[in-house]
Amino acid sequence: MKEFARRMVGIDRRIIFLLIAAAVLLPLVKPFGLPIKVSPEVKAVYDYIEALPERSVLFLSFDFDPSSKPELEPQAVALLRHAFRKNLRVIGMTHWLTGTGLADGVFSKVAAEMGKERHKDYVFLGWSPGGGSLIIAMGQDLYKAFPSDYTKTPTRGMPVLDGVQNLRDVNYLVSLAAGGAGIEMWYVFGKDKYRFEMAGGSTGVIAPGLYPFLRSGQINGLIGGLQGAAEYETLITQKGTATAGMDAQSAAHFVIIVLVLLCNVFYFMLRGEKGRPN
Amino acid sequence: MIFLKRQLPLVITFIMGVTFTLQYYIPHPVSEEAITNVAKWMQIISGFALFLGLASLFHVHAVKIKRQVPGWGYSLVLYAGMLGMIAVGFWSHGETRVDGAQTSFGWLYDYTMVPLQGTMFSILAFFIASAAYRAFRARSREASVLLASAVIVMMGRVPLGQFLVPWSWDVTQWLLNVLNSAVRRAILIGVSMGAVALSLKIILGIERSYLGGGRDQ
Amino acid sequence: MNVVAFLCLLFFSGVAFAAPPSLAPPEGFRVLDTPNDTGKSLSLVWKASPSDSKNRSIQVWAAESPHAAFKKVAEFPSNTRYVKAGDFPWWAQPAGKGEHYVKLSSSQAFPIEDGKSYAVKLLVRDGEQEAWSEIAEGRPAPNFFNTAQVNNLVFVLAFTGVLLASIAAARRNPHIYLRRIAGLDAVEEAIGRSTEMGRPILYLTGAGDMSEVPTIAATVILGEVAKKVAHYDTSLKVPHRDPIVMAVCQEIVKEAYVEAGRPDAYKEDSNFFITSDQFSYTAAVDGIMLREKPAANFFMGSYFAESLLLTETGASTGAIQIAGTDSDHQLPFFVTTCDYTLIGEELYAASAYLSREPVLVGTLRGQDFGKAFIMSVLVLGTALATIGVVAGTENFDYVLDFFKDFK
Repeated sequence: MKEFARRMVGIDRRIIFLLIAAAVLLPLVKPFGLPIKVSPEVKAVYDYIEALPERSVLFLSFDFDPSSKPELEPQAVALLRHAFRKNLRVIGMTHWLTGTGLADGVFSKVAAEMGKERHKDYVFLGWSPGGGSLIIAMGQDLYKAFPSDYTKTPTRGMPVLDGVQNLRDVNYLVSLAAGGAGIEMWYVFGKDKYRFEMAGGSTGVIAPGLYPFLRSGQINGLIGGLQGAAEYETLITQKGTATAGMDAQSAAHFVIIVLVLLCNVFYFMLRGEKGRPN
Repeated sequence: MIFLKRQLPLVITFIMGVTFTLQYYIPHPVSEEAITNVAKWMQIISGFALFLGLASLFHVHAVKIKRQVPGWGYSLVLYAGMLGMIAVGFWSHGETRVDGAQTSFGWLYDYTMVPLQGTMFSILAFFIASAAYRAFRARSREASVLLASAVIVMMGRVPLGQFLVPWSWDVTQWLLNVLNSAVRRAILIGVSMGAVALSLKIILGIERSYLGGGRDQ
Repeated sequence: MNVVAFLCLLFFSGVAFAAPPSLAPPEGFRVLDTPNDTGKSLSLVWKASPSDSKNRSIQVWAAESPHAAFKKVAEFPSNTRYVKAGDFPWWAQPAGKGEHYVKLSSSQAFPIEDGKSYAVKLLVRDGEQEAWSEIAEGRPAPNFFNTAQVNNLVFVLAFTGVLLASIAAARRNPHIYLRRIAGLDAVEEAIGRSTEMGRPILYLTGAGDMSEVPTIAATVILGEVAKKVAHYDTSLKVPHRDPIVMAVCQEIVKEAYVEAGRPDAYKEDSNFFITSDQFSYTAAVDGIMLREKPAANFFMGSYFAESLLLTETGASTGAIQIAGTDSDHQLPFFVTTCDYTLIGEELYAASAYLSREPVLVGTLRGQDFGKAFIMSVLVLGTALATIGVVAGTENFDYVLDFFKDFK
């Protein structure tokens, strides 16, 4: 028994990889579908957008690249569906150069689905260098920061930007962030100076670090990871890839929990031996 | 030469640093105009940084190919990838989609860039499992607390856990909103003080390592 | 009886046909230039009334002069737009707590220009009744200083002073007490292990550039590690993501070898540039770890998603791993996969402890003073705010306001 425990404690990591692969793949093939509980921080974002009058301006910052696509793209899709359903005007941009194609693809896909027109109901401004300086530039004059959009159409005179001179004219901003250039930067250089309300959407890894901003009211809501995206899909009653992915995530979490508990059982079995095991 | 490499950057840093620190407290339109213009300069300079990065990459790998150091074949692959992407990008005028149809640049982006980056990131799922298996052992009281809270949060953050152990959701929310927030705030305050202190040292010319030379002056 | 009936009839008809009490106009209405702003806006202030309610509305009418045509620019219920605690600091408040305050900014409907005088009046409406206020005039102008943020400026100047004083004190005496950092003992052990096994040491400086604190700390620790490596004649490999960091590290390592008396052992290519792309760099370093199997890995600086990919690969090769980062979102991964982890400011402290450079030691000291001040304010502020609520007094707001952030 102790020999078995010793072998299990030092198990080849490839077996663990196989178990994780099975845990992720099988629920995708055969979903079991469980109810998703909505957290207050995600509901806060939903409620704010729900309360916006028609043709209000929602600013979406796609601050991620393809590596964070599985977690943040479902958030973007759910937010866009909600915004277009409420007939809001959506302005999009990105601080991540490698995320431009991704962001434009999301806009095109959801807009086609909801029957929305580019330049009339939404605009994707694209990428421009600068990070914090870009936010300041947009806060002063959006048209100087982005003289044209991603399709090289001049921004001045666009119907969707009617009445929008700078960030002060934005009703709500959501930054979908995968790391450094994201929510904190938008708060420090944007909301602190130009006083718009904002929320954050982030990968699961950085979400816990954003709770201080949530608790202090610097952001009024937070959509964390794939779970957050699934919660938002539940709220807009339109399931998407996030809800589909939650089964796989549930299974993977459980495999890890079982492995960790088993490892501790074997560890304690070996601890009874003379001398501490490695 | 020393003046251009050392003294002039320090003078510029000092003047701009003090000016734009004070700008934060001055709401007058002249101050707003100044920050708008400087923000524009910084955007232009950031754009140049991209070229710098590209040039340095080209140079490093050109040297590797020239000297035929072990692994120089991969440098050729890098050149082929970079030049190919740049050429296709120019040919497609930088557009990934035109009138709903995908361009060659869009094809390369969707079928090479996206899957490659996604693959690297997805390896994390496997590595987390093997790291957790190796490390989450109740060796001590602190390790036991870490283990317990990790298990509760892992359960509370997924529908299956919320279904099987309903209280795990409430405990997870409490852990995230109370304990986690408190600790993160403390770390944030410390790190922010460090950032403020460094910024002050850079503005005042005390910290000069970013210029690439010696440290304490 | 008939007289009584007649008198009752007279009384009730009088009550029925009596004119309702007339609506009072807003009291104390005044128009000022909005303080601490960029201009093109006016502030309207008037006293609260006990009869304010959601059924009673206030309309704001403005014109370019008292004799010009007035235009309605805003309307809202009369029981809104009060000045609440925390809206303005006591030293820069345009209106008192409990008064009504409305900021009238320039808009397409009613443009406002700086330096020009504008006339404003209020209309109170309650059902069919209306009452106009007196016309008040104001002239908007931009302000040169935001007095609401004077507390912020005072703290910045105070912290700067403390920092400079600490650095000056450290220059006079660099041997100020610094707590020993646990992970530092392991550095010697890691280098010794690499030497015994005849395998290289891998040192990473993180994802940041030279303007970031953790990268600076990482380069300082590299200098100390390089000195020990030179002494033991072990191989050192430092792959980089940033060309400037690489240039700085090259000089640092070279100096370290010279100081250790082993300039001959220094290798130019110990510091090399890979790429600045996150995952390409990670893949390259993972490849180095798997092929060359370093005996010790150092991860110092700031990291993002690549941290676990690096440390888990390093762990699979059996290397001893020491990490130091202030990237709090990556700390769980470092803690689980590395043998020793320097958390947050322990990284800065380690670099100061090892090098004893007056600037680093002084900065650490100055930051400690700053943190001590913040902790004291937290305790004092919580106590005062609690006492204020329990005792029902607002007197402590004079102290508490000083620590709030007003815009």
